This record gives sequence, C-alpha cells and structure tokens, in this order.
Amino acid sequence: MAYYLMLFAAGFAGSFHCIGMCGGFACALGRDPHGHAATVLRHLLYNTGRLTTYCFLGGLAGALGQVICTPQGMTVSLVGGPLDAAQRILAIVAGLLMIGMALQFFGLLQGFHRLASGFGSSAFAMSLRSLLTARGRAAPLAFGVFNGFLPCPLVYAFVAEATSTAGALPGFLTMASFGLGTFPAMLMMGGVGQVLAPAWRQRGVWLAGSCILLLGLITLSRGILPIAAHIAHGWPGGHPA
Amino acid sequence: MTDDRLCRHCLLTIGRRAMRRTVNGENCAFCCYGCCIAFQVRSGKSEEWEAAWLLIRLGVGGFLSMNIMLFSLLLYTGAFTGVDARLLPWVHLLLWIFATPALVILGGPFLRETWLDGVQGRLRSSALIVVGVGAAYIYSAFAVIERGTHVYFDTATMVLMLFTVGRYLEAAGRARAARDLEPLLAAESACATVVNGGAETRRAVRDVKARMLVRVRPGERIPVDGVVTEGESHTDEAVITGESRQVAKSVGSPVIAGSINLDGPLLIQSSGAGTTTRWAQICRSVRDALVRRSPTQRIADRVVGASVPVVLALGGLTMLYWAQWLPLERALLFGLAVLVVACPCAVGLAAPLATSLGIGRLARCGCLVRDPGVLEALARTRLLAFDKTGTLTSGRAHVVGIETDGAGTDEVLARAAGLERYSEHGFGHAITTAAAVRGLDPVVTGDVRILPGRGIRGNADGKAVVAGNGALMSELGWSVAPALSEHGRSLEADGYSVIYIGWGEQVRAALALDDSVLPEARSTVEALRSRGLHVLLLSGDLAHATQRVAVAAGIQDAQSGLSPEAKRAALRQLRQRYNVVAMVGDGLNDGPVLADADIGIAVGSATDLARETAALVLPRDGLWMLPWVVDVARAVRMTILTNLMWAFGYNCIAVTLAMLGWLQPVLAAAVMAGSSIIVVLNSLRLERLPNPVPSAAPDQSAAVESAPTMHTSSLPIIAGQAIP
Repeated sequence: MAYYLMLFAAGFAGSFHCIGMCGGFACALGRDPHGHAATVLRHLLYNTGRLTTYCFLGGLAGALGQVICTPQGMTVSLVGGPLDAAQRILAIVAGLLMIGMALQFFGLLQGFHRLASGFGSSAFAMSLRSLLTARGRAAPLAFGVFNGFLPCPLVYAFVAEATSTAGALPGFLTMASFGLGTFPAMLMMGGVGQVLAPAWRQRGVWLAGSCILLLGLITLSRGILPIAAHIAHGWPGGHPA
Repeated sequence: MTDDRLCRHCLLTIGRRAMRRTVNGENCAFCCYGCCIAFQVRSGKSEEWEAAWLLIRLGVGGFLSMNIMLFSLLLYTGAFTGVDARLLPWVHLLLWIFATPALVILGGPFLRETWLDGVQGRLRSSALIVVGVGAAYIYSAFAVIERGTHVYFDTATMVLMLFTVGRYLEAAGRARAARDLEPLLAAESACATVVNGGAETRRAVRDVKARMLVRVRPGERIPVDGVVTEGESHTDEAVITGESRQVAKSVGSPVIAGSINLDGPLLIQSSGAGTTTRWAQICRSVRDALVRRSPTQRIADRVVGASVPVVLALGGLTMLYWAQWLPLERALLFGLAVLVVACPCAVGLAAPLATSLGIGRLARCGCLVRDPGVLEALARTRLLAFDKTGTLTSGRAHVVGIETDGAGTDEVLARAAGLERYSEHGFGHAITTAAAVRGLDPVVTGDVRILPGRGIRGNADGKAVVAGNGALMSELGWSVAPALSEHGRSLEADGYSVIYIGWGEQVRAALALDDSVLPEARSTVEALRSRGLHVLLLSGDLAHATQRVAVAAGIQDAQSGLSPEAKRAALRQLRQRYNVVAMVGDGLNDGPVLADADIGIAVGSATDLARETAALVLPRDGLWMLPWVVDVARAVRMTILTNLMWAFGYNCIAVTLAMLGWLQPVLAAAVMAGSSIIVVLNSLRLERLPNPVPSAAPDQSAAVESAPTMHTSSLPIIAGQAIP
C-alpha cells in the first residue's frame, strides 16, 4: 500500500508539471453555464477520461512486462519469490528511463526531451481543440481520453514503472495511483481556474523531477541490488500479486 | 475539388463504396472510413459540430473499450477467483453494459458499410468484421444471461477499436501520398481575384475569361495564363516546367497558370479562358490518370472481391471443425480470428497507393503520367526506341559548313544574313544566327521578296542577291562553278539541307545546314544503357543524317527512311522480341507511333495535352530526365510487388495460424491493422527517391563536339546553340 501511496504522492507532485500543458486544457475546458455542479461534473468527466487512459496504458504495460518476464506463460509470483533476470533487466531499463525523464525536467538532456515529446502530435492536439468547446457531457470525457495519449514525459516515466512491475494488475494500480495523484491539481486548475505564478510552476516542475528521480533510483536499485529488491518487497503490502 | 471519383483525403479512387460527409459546408466523398476520420480531424473547423462529434464518438468508444479491456485483464489475471467469484456475474453484466454502447459507436460505420454493400449485392471486408464482432458479442450476451464462465466483450470492442485506429493511421499516411499531387489538382478548385474597375471579386477560375485583370498576392498561385500589367515579383513555375527556380517578372512578362507568386503583388491580364491553361489541362489529365486502374490493380481488386466469401467460409469451417473437440466458445474465437485476420485491405491498397505516389513524384518534376499502367510497363520494358528529329536533336537547323567558289565566307554570310533576316523560315534564322555568332553585320538589302518553297531574293548595292535551293538557281539560270555544284550535290546526298547563295548572276556559295544533336543525348543514352535498356533509333530521315545522329548520341542500332507506317511495323516486330516496347518522340510528328507503342513517351511536347497521344509526357528539354523516370517507374513496380507479396503472404500465413487456433482475435486485429500500415509505410519510401540530376548541362562546347564534322576546307564548322 505504501508503494501506491508513494506513487500517488509522486503523481501529485508531478501534476505541477501538468499545469504547463494539460492545465491549459483544463482551463480551456472552462466553466459550464449550468452552474457550479455542472462545472465540477465536466471536469470530473475530463479527468475520468484521462485516468481511464492511464489505467489502460498501465494495465497494458504491466501485461507486456509480464509477457517479457514469463516467456513460458508461467505467472510470476511476486510475493516472496526472487526476482528473475528478465524482471531485473526491466527494472533497470525502466529506472534509467525515469532518471532520464527526471533529468530532463531539470533542463538537462534536451535531446531526450525531443524524443519524449516530439512525436509530431501537436497537430493532433490542435485538432482536439474542437472538443473543448463542444457541448454535451461526452465531449469532456472524449477529450480526457485523447489527452491521456498525448506525449508527456511524466506519463512515460510511470508507464515504464508499470512495465517493470511485470503484472497487469500492479501495472494498472501503478498508473491508477499516479493518475489519482494528478487529480487534485488538475481539478484545482479547472475548477478554480487560477494559474499559478510562473515561479511556483518552475518549483513544481523541479519537485516533479525530484520525485521521478527518486522513483527511478528506487526502480533501478530494485534491478541492481539484490537487497533493495527485498526492501521493495518487504514493504507492508508490497506488490499485490 | 468537385470531382466525386477521388477521395477527398488521399486522392485515391473511391470506387462504389463512397462515404459522404459534409465538412466545412462542403460535400466531401471519401474512399474509406479512415480517410473520413483523418480528413475531418485535419481539416474540420473547430466550430464544425460534425468533426467534433466524430472525435467525441471515438473518445467515448475508446473510454468504454479501455474500461472493458481493463476489467477483462483483471479477469484473465484471476482477480475474481476464490472469495470474489460470486462477483463474477456482476462483472460480466457490467462489461455487457459497457460493451453495448461501444459496439454501437465503434461498429456503426462498419455495419453501415456492410449494409450498403449488401443492398448492392456485394460482400466486402467490413462484412468480415461485422460478422466476427457480432458473433462474439451475441455469444457473450447469451453467456451473461446463462451465467456462463467466459465473455468476450473485450475481444469484440478491441477488434473494432483496433480497426478504427488502424484505418485512421493508414489514412493519415495515405494523405502524404496526395501531397505532391495537390498543387496539380488545385487547378479546378482554384479561385481568382478579378479586378473590374475599382472592385475586386473572387471568382472560380473557370469563370475567368480572356483579357480580364486578375490580382495575385504574394504566396498565391497564379490562376491564369497572362501578362503582368502592374507590379514586380518572382515566380516559381515548378509545377508546370518541373524546374524549381525563381523567375523574375515585371510589367510585360508573361506568366503561366499554376506558378507561385513569391514576393510581390501582381496584376495580370488574362490571355485566355481559365479552363484552357496548361495547368488546367494537366489537372484534368492527372485526375483521369488517378481514376484509371492499372492491370495489376484490376487483378488485385478481383482477388479482394473473391476473397471475402472464401474467408467467411473458412471462418465458418474453422469454427465447425474446432467445435467437435473444444467448447463452442473457443471454436467461436478461432473462427473470429480467421475472419479478422484475413481482411484483405492491404491487398487492395498495394497498387494504387504506390502508383499515385509515383505519379506525384514525377509530377513534382514536371513529368506527366496519363495512364497509371504506364509506370509498371516502363519498369518492365527492355527496349527504348527514339525518334530523331526534335527528340534527340534540337529540331532547329544550324549552319554546319560553307562551300564557296572563292568568295570570302564572311561576305557570303553577311549577304545571306541581309536577305534571310526578312525570312521566317527556320533556315533563315539559322543563317542570321551564324552571321551574328561570327560578329558580322548583315548587308543592307532592299526589295526583298520571298519565293515560297524555293528561297528568297532581294537587291544589295544595285545587284540582285538570291538565297535558295538548287531548283531556284537553275530556274534563274545563274552559272555555278562545277566544283561547287558537285559539293552541293554530295552534301545533299549526305542528308544535309543545302542553301545556295548567289549575287551578280552567279552562284557563289553553298551553305550546309543540319539539325544539331542535343548535348544531353549521349549521356542520356549511356545512362539508359547502364540500366540494361536496349536503345534504338527509328527515323524517317535519310540514312546518312540518321547515322550522324546515332553516332553522336552513341546509339549503335539505327533504322532510317521509315515512314510513320513503317515505324509502327518496326515496333510491332520489336514487340515480338522484347515483349514491351517504349517509343520516345516529340509528340508532334510521331503521334500515331507513340500511341501504337506500349509506352509512348513525349519529350518537349508543345502540343495540346488533350490531343496528346503519349502516356508519359516529359517537360520541354526534359530528355535528360528519362533515366530518372525509368528509375521511378522501377521503384514503383518494385514497391507494388513487395506490397502485394507482403499482403498476400501475410494473409496466407496469418489465416493458417488462425485456423490452427494459434492466434488470439485481438492480436489478429492488431497485426491486421499493422499490415495495412506497413503497406502504407513501404509505399511512402517512394517519397524518398532522389531528385533527377542533370547529367550534362546544355552548353556550347558539348554542342560543338556533337556536331558532325565536314570535309570542307573553307570553313570548318559554325555551330552552337543556334536559337536561344
């Protein structure tokens, strides 16, 4: 449980990064003319769509990790069982990816940034704007779903983490915790509609970077150090199987 | 674009199953659902409800199917076993509730397509999806009611989702194929700003008449042919001429429709109706070419048409077979996998995409393909027959030698030029140019009369001066030195055109004129030969003249003295040996021969495109592009073959795997969608073909080298690019 709480916290910290891009969307989603409750509903729908995409990606990534780790189709027993080599490698790769993403938040590794956000999807994002102004309950939900697929280093980092859990359920839970972590900030952005001062936003980005860096180091150590693996699993609750 | 035969998004032929939508207030036709989505996503204005509605449907469909997939993943990993097993029916019910709207939203377009095809008595690939997904859904619904252990809502929705996303991605890739063709096809839908008095009105180009004033702002395409009456700018005429360079335009300069006005506003007086420009002609020609189907495409279409019932039968048989040993649900899944994986979309896409990319790639360099089959034929041909005049030669006469009876060559040329500057004849031009090249002032000549078919006469310094053929000289009864007369006859026998110059009642000189070989002819022939092509010269000219050109161009095999009928007979004979023959001509004199060849290629055609008989038209002075065109044609054919091999091979292997039960339906759908995308990506490699590189710059020295040498002593050679 503590593991997922930490992910939630990381998501919360990371969401200050979201304010840069997705916060703009949340602001643009705006208020509903039918009153405060309708506005809250609108934003909840948007965030639900986003969360669904994250969870789906998490589940998929986890399942992929599972496939990689168990080529013979055996299910890996995570509790107590020693990590096999494939999962270690996966953890190392995911950890390195996360560290790379984190460094990019600090303004390092600019090439990595292009790699992370340069899939030419800005045209896609532009075409999504038509959804922001569309009426109806379905539009914000649909927008949220697409928003979840927009390239974002934060999401990539957590998807990498989800893959390293090597299981559909833990992967799903990883992304769910992260997604729920981003809820407060995004709801605040949309509902309150206040934009934080740029200085604060910069601090938020650093905070997000630190969190991911920490997570990346933990994931990496899970792959490298035999003891750390036991520490990770020694947590109360650990990875549920 | 008002044409309904081409898809609005990817410019491929629509066929009979058009999808029609209203985007931005216009009626648009699309060849498939993917193009419909991609076009609306790309071009739909944000205030358009329909574009937004489409995205909303996709988004909500995605939301529902992702939820279904998540729950199913949890089911598969065994989250609801043991204590939670009593929750299972409720989870199934929840999945059913999610799946029903998802099926309606995502499956609607496929169902509609199937229905429309069915009404017309046809079965297409969408029928496979509808049958497969419908079966999975109905079975699962019964399983929920009967409290069965397995439901397959995830399979049903994910197959739909993957096919929708796959079609979108495929269409997005296909739009890149249309990029090169767009400027050419824009002619019909182009608008012009017509200035009438002080008022400016926007009109369709087809409503622009001759002598109207049209304003063109920087960055706009010039919509009509005409003359600049106001303003200065540069234009890029690449669309029409194939040469991407800036041409300066000022008052009085002619401009051609289709070129881009680069940097200054221009006011243009139209010189003809908007529909008669070469741009508009090219537009119609390209559109016709795109609508036509190549032979390969016809075969592929027939295979696709025949395969759908076969696949349905295979799916049914697979299910029946496995149902004997396995529970019905497993057998059903195997059957579904067969239906999904055998969808023959990629086969239908293989040829038209590569062909239209090839046509676009050639069009960008000014080469016009009028029949899509010609690219494949050109790639297969082993023989290229050339016409001589106007194709390998410039088609313009040059003075290549002067024989005199003692008079100075400069005097001869100056007197001849004094006469010939009044002549419109090509020979006259050649003589004045020869005089100008040597820096001679033409002798002032008065009382000039043209004697049609014979020559020209006038008066200079009180003496009669005559230039003309031998017949004119004997008619006049002027005396000729025997040596000069002998030389003249032998020159004529060698295929030169001979003009006699005389004054003071005596023939003083004989000028030999010849058509000069194009400077790029030799390198082009060499490049073609290095591509394994046999090059042949077929000429209607005399043997000596033909041989001179053949030697200059480096062609070993030449046939001379052929009438157009004899040329066609020669081609027929060659076809027996080479199977496919290509004929290269100038499109002026050899129209019937070009039409008769398997591939007619016109170079530098000045004729009306509508009357053009060649299937492939190179731009003026575009002979040097021919090897590159062959390269493009071969690349297109290679791409079509690899596409077809991939699509067929993939289908065969995948169907076998699916029938053996080794392929999950969701995986099958993913790989199926991937196969179409691979075909698109493979075809898009054609975009990366290098641009043509001029192998020989047309310059003076090359022209002199290639000009034939003569056995005259008085003046070796005056040659060069006669007329700029």
